[in-house]
Amino acid sequence: MADNRAEKILAAIGGADNVVEIEPCITRLRCELEDGSLVDEAALKAAGAHGVMRAGKAVQIVVGPEADTIASDIEDLL
Amino acid sequence: MTPLAVNSPVSGRVVPLTEVPDQVFANAMVGPGLAVEPDRAAGAALAPVDGTVAALHPHAFVVATEDGAAVLVHLGIDTVKLKGEGFTLHVVKGEKVRAGQPIVSWNPADVEAAGYAPICPVVALDAVAETLEPRQADGPVGAGEVLFSWRR
Repeated sequence: MADNRAEKILAAIGGADNVVEIEPCITRLRCELEDGSLVDEAALKAAGAHGVMRAGKAVQIVVGPEADTIASDIEDLL
Repeated sequence: MTPLAVNSPVSGRVVPLTEVPDQVFANAMVGPGLAVEPDRAAGAALAPVDGTVAALHPHAFVVATEDGAAVLVHLGIDTVKLKGEGFTLHVVKGEKVRAGQPIVSWNPADVEAAGYAPICPVVALDAVAETLEPRQADGPVGAGEVLFSWRR
């Protein structure tokens, strides 16, 4: 598999059990999580995230224009 | 290569990306560009360049040129939450479009009335800031007029 970004990102936000909702928005993943404190920003950056914005359970991960693809890959893992 | 002219998708007033009330755009996290504070009138957002519709949401789209330059147009901030209401798409993802072709009809006044900033970031995705030359740093711009040129 050439691209396991979806798996890495999912792991870095606390795994499938922590995900309430993930919605892609062109360049970012808008995530609603059970527990926002489980987010590992360093791991997200290592997985290619340009930036991470956190507001409690709502986390936005800036991944660039492949956000739609990554979000559907993550959906497949949930 | 000739610099790529990136045209304004909407008419309004040009402002720096730093004035966009969203960290991702204001900090140029996905690339440099400019924003347009749109005139408050119903209209269509136009393709900024010739290319293929690489991504398409009701409130945002990306047009990528044949040589891979991708331009993002975002219609308002946090407008994903409107779930497409008030936005009418005129193309499908993957469609070839010409610069100036209508992509999405919307009304910035309605977006504002719904409580969202209707400002439109126009971003050269993954570009180096120095490769952009704004034709108009600020001031009025008409839909379809050059917003910046992108040295490739």
